[in-house]
Amino acid sequence: MRRNVLLRLFLAAAVLCILLPAAVLVLWSAAARWSWPSLLPERWSARTVRELLFGSQDLWRLLGSSMSLGSGAAGLSTLIGLLTARAVSLYDFPGKGLVRFAGLLPLLIPGTVFATGIHLVLLRLGLADTAAGVLLVHVMTALPYSIAILTDVTAALGGALEEQAAVLGAGPVRAFFAVSLPELMPGVLSSLSMAFILSYSQYFTTLIVGGGRVKTLALVMVPYIQGGDRSLASVYALAFTGSALLVSALFEALIRHWQKRGDRL
Amino acid sequence: MRKKRTACLLLLPLFAAAALSLLACGSVLAQSLGVIPAFGLEEPTLDYYRDALTSPAFHSALLVSLRVALLSALAAALLGTVLCAALVRVCRARGAMVSLIRLPILVPHTVTALFAILLLSQTGLVSRCAWALGLIDDPGQFPQLLFTPGCGGTILAYLWKEVPFVAYFTLALMAGVSATLGEAAENLGASPLRSFLTVTLPLSLPAVSQAFLIIFLFAFGGYELPLLLGATVPKALPVYAHLAYMHPDLRQRPAAMALYGVILLLSAAMAALYGLLTRRLLRKIGGGR
Repeated sequence: MRRNVLLRLFLAAAVLCILLPAAVLVLWSAAARWSWPSLLPERWSARTVRELLFGSQDLWRLLGSSMSLGSGAAGLSTLIGLLTARAVSLYDFPGKGLVRFAGLLPLLIPGTVFATGIHLVLLRLGLADTAAGVLLVHVMTALPYSIAILTDVTAALGGALEEQAAVLGAGPVRAFFAVSLPELMPGVLSSLSMAFILSYSQYFTTLIVGGGRVKTLALVMVPYIQGGDRSLASVYALAFTGSALLVSALFEALIRHWQKRGDRL
Repeated sequence: MRKKRTACLLLLPLFAAAALSLLACGSVLAQSLGVIPAFGLEEPTLDYYRDALTSPAFHSALLVSLRVALLSALAAALLGTVLCAALVRVCRARGAMVSLIRLPILVPHTVTALFAILLLSQTGLVSRCAWALGLIDDPGQFPQLLFTPGCGGTILAYLWKEVPFVAYFTLALMAGVSATLGEAAENLGASPLRSFLTVTLPLSLPAVSQAFLIIFLFAFGGYELPLLLGATVPKALPVYAHLAYMHPDLRQRPAAMALYGVILLLSAAMAALYGLLTRRLLRKIGGGR
């Protein structure tokens, strides 16, 4: 019993460590004056919100480009993840270890080396400094996670249901969409969510591969963090993290909705 | 036969992506050997590696990166295991607490760096709390954690993201082991602590050690946190390499690529060493049974 008290204390400390920075971020973004050693801001202002909405950066365009890159990367990474998961779980062929290695590859290569090297490759392909090139690299970054999530659910479901549908006369495409996909939906949604967040958060890859021409919220936020204005940095970080977590929460709600639907059927 | 062909078709996009990744590494390595036909450099040479490996600036950058990666990964593996045990024991690995623990994994490193600045700088919130508690009466008395060669701030910022990562990565395995074999041990009379230390923990170690490798390699090759929280001198190896890469004189390019080559080869060597060690360890555990 006493051990559980210690573990509870540890959990409470963890919760404090997670939530405290978020609270400080909100306070700083609305603080006009907050000097040492005050524990709370002395004066408040909406200056940073005005700067965020109507300032030098076009927030809506940044949100638009970040969100469309994220959605595109999420869709493509999940699609390739599904194809790979099917091949690995439902087909028999030699060299599965090689496939697993190929899937993990972007995780094993250090991020800075990967970004710099892929920029050289894309230069030769004419895709460097373009949105398409950045999208491609975001997809590659998210792919290991999509493959891991979707291989789990595909292997758990197996191919028996589709075989039954085929016996009853459904073609392979119809068997997949009518029988397997609804069962795989929670996995598909968590892969979409994970890939979106990864693409949305990319800094170094976008910087190198986009060559400064492709601008995302994650990219323009960094100079504010490097600069001295804590309030302005906080408001950008708040807008960025808030929008990312909103999308993630939306996916979580969809997953829960889908699982409930599955229970009812 | 047909089935094999379908599987190949399904795997085509993955293999294309893997080929691009390998080409990326190949391009970096080729340039690090001084082969850049566009600049008229065609003869491969190890000179750039020799220059990089003998420079004192490289040595201090390497030490910074190794120190940050090792300390943060070790501490994160330890604290993350405790956090995971707490989640399994107290919340049965479910519910709002687990969702909350996931949050830091979703927050990008750049925002984590801002958190560190707001909390850990000499005028940050922790320093203010220390003043409120009467521990210090001047911001200068608060230990300098950011932008110092000791990299305390960088390590703490990594921990903020990695402790939850280790816990989350290990959660499924540990919850499964604890609900079956762990409870069996307790039913046979072992105390909760003994059951955890002799049954649940050893069987959860594969997940912990995998998480350790992932975060160690990530921190070793990571750019954002050391850029935003590290000292001007010495820089972490990836920051140092990127600075060399951005050098306006293009003849410096192979030297920068040699630094990236060292990062790549060291990471590969450490991953291989890890594979070797864990295989031997797992065989030992298997043989002892």
